[in-house]
This record gives sequence, structure tokens and C-alpha cells, in this order.
Amino acid sequence: MVREFKLPDVGEGVAEGELVSWLVEEGDEVSEDQPVAEVETDKAIVEVPSPVNGSVRELRAEEGEVVPVGNVIITFNVEGEDDEESTTESAKSEEPTESQAEVSEEPEVSEETETPEGRVFAAPSARRLARELGVDIGAVDGTGPSGRVTEHDVRTAAESTTDEVEQETEAVESDDDLEIQPENGGSASAGPSPDTIEPADRERTLAAPATRRLADEQGINLNAVPAVEERDGQAFVTPEAVREYAEAQQHAQAADAAAVASGETGPREERIPYRGIRRTIGKQMQKSKFTAPHVTHHDSIDVTELVETRAELKEIAEERGIKLTYMPFVLKAIVAALKEYPYLNSALDEENEEIVVKNYYNIGIAVATDDGLMVPVLKDVDKKDMLQISSEMNELVEKARDRTISRDEMQGGTFTITNFGAIGGEYATPIINHPEVGILGLGELKKRPVVVDDEVEARYTLPISMSIDHRIIDGAVVASFANQLLEYLHNPRLLLLE
Amino acid sequence: MVVGDISTGTDVLVIGAGPGGYVGAIRAGQLGLDVTLVEKDAYGGTCLNYGCIPSKAMITASDLAYDANNAEEMGIYTKLDVNYGEMVEWKDGVVSQLTGGVEKLCKANGVSLMEGRAEFADDKSVRVVHGGEGQGSETVEFEHAIVSTGSRPIEIPGFEFDGEHILSSRQALALDDVPESIVIVGAGYIGMELAGVFAKLGSDVTVVEMLDSVLPGYEDDLARPVKKKADELGIDFHFGQAAKEWEGSGRGITVVTEDEDGDVSEFGAEKALVAVGRQPVSDTLELENAGIETDEKGFIQTDDRARTEQEHIFAIGDVAGEPMLAHKASKEGQVAAEVIAGEPSALDYQAMPAAVFTDPEIGTVGLTEEEAESQGFEPVVGKFPFQASGRALTTGHAEGFVRIVADEPSGFALGAQIVGPEASELIAELGLAIEMGATLEDLAATIHTHPTLSEAVMECAENALGHAIHTLNR
Repeated sequence: MVREFKLPDVGEGVAEGELVSWLVEEGDEVSEDQPVAEVETDKAIVEVPSPVNGSVRELRAEEGEVVPVGNVIITFNVEGEDDEESTTESAKSEEPTESQAEVSEEPEVSEETETPEGRVFAAPSARRLARELGVDIGAVDGTGPSGRVTEHDVRTAAESTTDEVEQETEAVESDDDLEIQPENGGSASAGPSPDTIEPADRERTLAAPATRRLADEQGINLNAVPAVEERDGQAFVTPEAVREYAEAQQHAQAADAAAVASGETGPREERIPYRGIRRTIGKQMQKSKFTAPHVTHHDSIDVTELVETRAELKEIAEERGIKLTYMPFVLKAIVAALKEYPYLNSALDEENEEIVVKNYYNIGIAVATDDGLMVPVLKDVDKKDMLQISSEMNELVEKARDRTISRDEMQGGTFTITNFGAIGGEYATPIINHPEVGILGLGELKKRPVVVDDEVEARYTLPISMSIDHRIIDGAVVASFANQLLEYLHNPRLLLLE
Repeated sequence: MVVGDISTGTDVLVIGAGPGGYVGAIRAGQLGLDVTLVEKDAYGGTCLNYGCIPSKAMITASDLAYDANNAEEMGIYTKLDVNYGEMVEWKDGVVSQLTGGVEKLCKANGVSLMEGRAEFADDKSVRVVHGGEGQGSETVEFEHAIVSTGSRPIEIPGFEFDGEHILSSRQALALDDVPESIVIVGAGYIGMELAGVFAKLGSDVTVVEMLDSVLPGYEDDLARPVKKKADELGIDFHFGQAAKEWEGSGRGITVVTEDEDGDVSEFGAEKALVAVGRQPVSDTLELENAGIETDEKGFIQTDDRARTEQEHIFAIGDVAGEPMLAHKASKEGQVAAEVIAGEPSALDYQAMPAAVFTDPEIGTVGLTEEEAESQGFEPVVGKFPFQASGRALTTGHAEGFVRIVADEPSGFALGAQIVGPEASELIAELGLAIEMGATLEDLAATIHTHPTLSEAVMECAENALGHAIHTLNR
């Protein structure tokens, strides 16, 4: 009989490996567990063992070839069996790893729980919950025995789906003048429980037999494991809960020991799962930073006149019931400058190798909310007057804060502003809201010493930090763009011509 | 509008009060919808009146008679006297108790009952034609409709059911006397179930089947104990025979069959039962008026929410396709009602159990080993023979086995096949296991009561894991 052997998942989450060398040739006799190939992943070089006793029938990968996990790399003839049939040997399963609430376009197929034909193992109640929450159960990572999808997994997936909807960049904060949201220092998004889990104290606990065995192996009392689910009004414990609790116990013990050793009380370290919104932000930032070579251009603008202009107009706006911040001026100035430097209002279509220059101006405004970062997008800024921009922007920020903002209102941006100066500071290196090519960061607007006619005067200045994608924009262009912006903000009357 | 029609309106119109229709109607009523249930014949449909229920009653009664007559091994000697007429009366009593219950339940859940045959006038209304000439008709306008018209026995050309010589399964279950001899055309589950009933009640039974085995569609080793028992009962089998024609002869008939070489055989008997399958009842509905087409077999195509191509018209049960099973119809009825009520319901089951009430019974659920393999699993199979079950031996019925098919790497239960005592009941546990995503280990680690037949399931899982106690491991 012919046995096919797929490249196993040789390391956690490794998707492919380079076949460095074959340790056997076609026709060689091999015994079970004998190494047949060396595979290099981004982590290490590992030897891949033969799953059977037999002879090598065919090597299906070249040395040096990069092979996706799950592809057949070698076939064996197994003695004493018919040559007609062929079976596939897939990688041996390991213990499922920690829950990773991952929701992607395509379900991540982890080798150990791969089930053919998209078959998902989940109880009817979990399936129903998935339908209720609009989760594609086929895309949920199961943390139950052998990767079974639990209700808890479905809920976790549902939560991270909502997170995915939000595009993340930097947040904008406002002082009383620049009335936009404060950046919240990146500590807001609540991850799941840190690893000090309070033990439960129950008389009875429901759990599947496999879970009980796991608890036994880990030396855990099931009645002490916090239950996330209930069945028939009884606490029901999942294998995942047992694993988390066991891990937490180990951490707690280690921490206790360390604390005793150092005479401290309280834990020396906390381990907070990198999940949900925090991870979404991280992924987005990572993608931007490692895709677009960033260059940040810094400058400072004397905005004394702008401060006066705005003070005058603020009162008029208030009569019409609109709160006028500096933002509309900045937005108007940006659009005016973008029109002169259209490449800053573009995106790179890598697939087709084309630069998409956009003749519409949708400006994203990064806002920090209690639930994390959001970027509402103000559409067609060039077609709107100051008061319109003001009221629409206030409305969008409000919606972002109370989570009533729609997905549509956070999409389609062509350029983004982030106002880190609301919290304080002069300069920063903002990360571009990929796939846009530019982001303008605003520092704190305040009085600073400025040289005017060889005299040092206290004047209102606004530091700006603008990052661009160097694949599209050169330094000279961003400097010229900044000069243009400087012109408009230094002399806001020019905006009347826009 | 036809002159003289009265027009009424309803949220949900259900056509056909079988196990799909009445369940859907009741569920819709529970969900606060206004429901009208139209039935042209008898509440409970084929299942309660002419199929599942009466056949099971007759099987139980004939088993009892046969077992009592064949218990010398246990030291029991009887002189049996079966009054077939009274047996049928008892069966009718069971049926009417159940159908009465259906009516009560419908009314208690606010379902309006209407008698007559419904045909679509358009996609928003039906005409309900009341029984008999001149009884008139009325129009019912609906927001949603559920088509649950079921199926009827297939007639072989030349073998039209006349209730006297050529019987449908329905007619066979309503005879006044046990026929002295009967030819059964078709060795599917209906033919085999009724062959057992008549053989146990003393008929000379001949079964002619076009294919080459009993219970085609079931794995050979599941059908084998059934065939063996049937042989013991003296049932005479002829395979590869297609029924061609019949003629009356004296008090009985002669059925003429032909094999593939064109060779002709003749089988004489008092009556013939034709059980060669069932076909959907979709041709009386004027479906085209509602803009719904059927496939070439007459089935209405539906999606996983039981919807037809018309979003607001649903089809469930036998009329909506194979497998034709009452429990499938009920589940689909429930889903259709919930979808209409706006709930996130769907047909999302992993496994559909089925049972054959032959002697011994067969119960199946999920995938066979072959199916598991073709779907890309790496099946591991556990088997446990009832010969090794203490409880099976104490019942005097220890033929057959339990088999579980699982995915070896993950341990997930994928399917099970049982042939043997109470297989139809035992299969339920495996259905739950598959639906819950239980593993072999879960099944093996669940304590089963001793001494019971259900222990066989646990032992079978242990056998698949390679550590069975009461059988030798693979």
C-alpha cells in the first residue's frame, strides 16, 4: 500500500518550511521514526521522522523548495500491503495549543485538528450561538478536545470579529481647544483575565470525560476551576478552562516563590493575553510599518494668527450651535495642500503595480475611545464648508465614542490625522494608516519662543510630524507639502480662497 | 377569485398534517404566528396513519406471537391463537389515540385546522378544495407557506393498487385476515419489515427483488443477519427479478417476473404487496402557479433553512427530498417555523439517524467507514458483537453487532451502524455523540449501566481504542 506523508506542523503556527535536505533516497528502506528530511522553518531546523516502516516510493519536493504545511512531501510503500490503495498520513496530533481567537478571511487550519471537507465539530448549541452572533463556525478555532468548537470559542470569535471591523491607527486627543478625543496611552483595551485566576469552590462540576482526564494529568481539582459555561444550571468546565487554570496555578506558584524569595508581596510579573483589539491594533501597525518604508518629516508652524481667527469665528459658530475647533482649519489646509501634491492622496496597488491617485478627499481622524482606537472618516472634505466639517466631525467623534459608528463611516479614508499633542509632546513618528501613504501628526499647540525680526517672542506654534511611505513619496515632496501646509495654517485667510 | 370562494388570511399556511407539517404548525403557533393547517385526509399523515406507527404496532404484535411460540429454549411452551382482526383493531386504537393527540395539540397551540386539498393560485394564496363534489372551495391568503405534502407509494406499471390483489403497504396493514400466502415485490425496508410480520403470523412469504440483495443501500454485513433470520422464517427470496405483470388465478394471483436475461418466472400467492419505494406528492399542488419548480423526480429543492426558490414558501419532509424520514420532516418543520418567526434557525445537523424495524433491527447514523475514508478522514473502526453482551444473551436475541466509525487522529465519532436487538433505540446515543463532537474516549469513559444492551456501545468504543475488555482487540 502507498502511504502519503504531509509536511507536519513542525513548530507552533509555522505555515511553511524549506526542505533543506533529504536524508533518504527513493527506494531506501526506512523504519518508523527514522529521520527522512531536514526542514528549516523561521524558528529552527528540524528533522522530519518517517511515520511508517517501509520503503521510500517517491520524493515529492526538491531540496531548497519551500513547502506549505500539509503538502505531501514523500510517499512510502508499506510492506505486506497492496499497492493499489493509497492513504494519506497527516501529521500526528499534539495537544491543542492555547485558544487563539482568530477570525480571518479564511479559517486557519491547524494541522492537528484538520477535518476534511470543512467539517466542524461542535455541539448544536454552539452552532446555534454562532448563527445568532453571525459567526462563521468554520472559521472558529476550537479549543475543546481534539479542537472541538465550544460556545466559549464562538463568543471569543464573535468579540474579535467586532474588533476586526475597526481600523486602527493612532488616536487623537484634544485639549480644551482641539476638542477631539484623548489618546489613552494604549492601556485601555481590556484583555482577558490576567494569570491570577481566583479558584472556584464548587461541590459539583460538569465536564467531559476527556476534560476530567486532563485535570487529573495536571493535578487540578475540577471544582476549583472557574467555569465559563453552565449546563443545566450546573457549572461546566471546558478543557481550555482547565489548561488556563493549570497554567495560572503554575504562574501563581512561581510568582509566590519569587515573591517569598525577594520579600515582596504581589506578583512580579503579569501575563496578559495578547488578544482581541490589542492584537488587531498590533497587526495593523506591524503590517504598515513592515510594508511601507516610513520617513517622518518634522516642522513647526507659527499659528498665532490662526488662534486669533478661530477665537473670532468660534463665537459665530456657537450662535449656530456648532463647536468650532482647530480641526476644520487643519482639515481644510490639508486638502488644499493635497490637491497640489496628489501623490500624498494615493495608495499603492501592489498586486497590479499601480499607484492609485484618489481625486476625492476622505480624511480619517484617529480617535481614542474606551473600547480602543477608531478612525472615523470624514468624507469629501473638499466639498464641505468649515461649519459642516465641524458639525460632522463632532458627530463622528461622538458616534465613535458611544460605539454607534457604522463600519461604513470608518472606511474609505485617503489620508489620516492624529493629534497626539492633545496629551502633550512636540514631535512623534506616526505610523501610516495602511494602505494610505501619508499621516499628519499634530503636536501640542502652545506658546513657544519664536524668533521674529531677530527678537525672541512668545508665539503660538504647532509642531507637526508627518510620516510618508517612501515607496511613493520622496523626502523633498513631503517637505514641500509641509511648507504648503505651513503657509495655509500660518495665514489662515488663504483658506478663504479654497 | 372563483365565485363562491370565501377568502381568509393567515401568517403561515401549512399544507399537509404529517409529522413535518403538524410539528411546523405547532412550533409556529408557539412562536405567536397565526397558523392554518390544511389536511386532505388524516391528521398525522402517512407516518401515524399508514406507515411508521401502524407497521410498528403490527411488528411488535407479530414478534410477540412468534417469540412466545418459539421460546421452548427457555422452557416456555404455548399453543398460540392469534386473532388477526383484533390485532388490527388494537393497532387502529393506537393510531387513533395518536392522531387525536395531534389534533388536540394543534388546537391547544392556536393552529386553525382546515380540511381539504390545497392548490396554489399564485405565490400568495391557495385554493382549498373541500372533499367531494359540490363541497366548494375557499381561498386562503398567506404570508408564508410550508409545503409538507409527503409521499405516496410508487406504483409499478401494470400493478396498480386495487386493495384486493395488489396491495400498497398502507393496504397491507389494513387487511381483515392474514393472507395464506403473499408475494412481496421489493426487498427494501418496507418490504422486509412486512415480510417479517406476515411470515411470523404464518403466511407463506415470497420476496422478489430486482437487485441482488436484501436492504440495498445498507452495508452487506448489516443486511446479512436480517437475511439469515428471514431464511429461518421460511421466507423465499428471488433476486434479480423484475415484476412484469400479474393475472388473477382462482382465489389468488400469479406474479410474472423477468430476470436480466429475459427468463420468465411465475410466483403464485393469495395477494401481492408492492413496496418498491415512495415518490413525493408534489403534482397536486399547482406549484407552477407559485413559481416553484420540482426536479425530475418531483422533489422540491430547498436550502438549509427549508426555503424553496420563493423566499416565503418552504418545503419540508418527503416532498423536499431524500432521505424520506419522519424525524427529518419534523426537524425541518421546526426549522421552517423558526425561520419564519425570524429566529436564527437552520438545518445544521451533522448526522441523520435511520432505523429499519426488521428482525434483527438496524440502526445507522453518520458515516460508514467507506464514506469517512472518501471524505478524507482516517477512519478507525470498533466493533462489538452482541454475542459478547450478557444482556443480549438473556433476551434470547444476540445476533448482530455494534460498529463505531471514528477519525483516528482526533478520535471524533463519525458514524455508527448497529444490527441487533433494539438497534433503533441504541443508535440514539451515537447520534448524540456525533452531534456533540464526542470522541471515542468520551464514549468509552462514560459509564453505562450493567447489564444492558447499551454497554455494547461503550465496549465498541473501547474496541476502537484498542483496549476492549470483553472482546479481543484488533
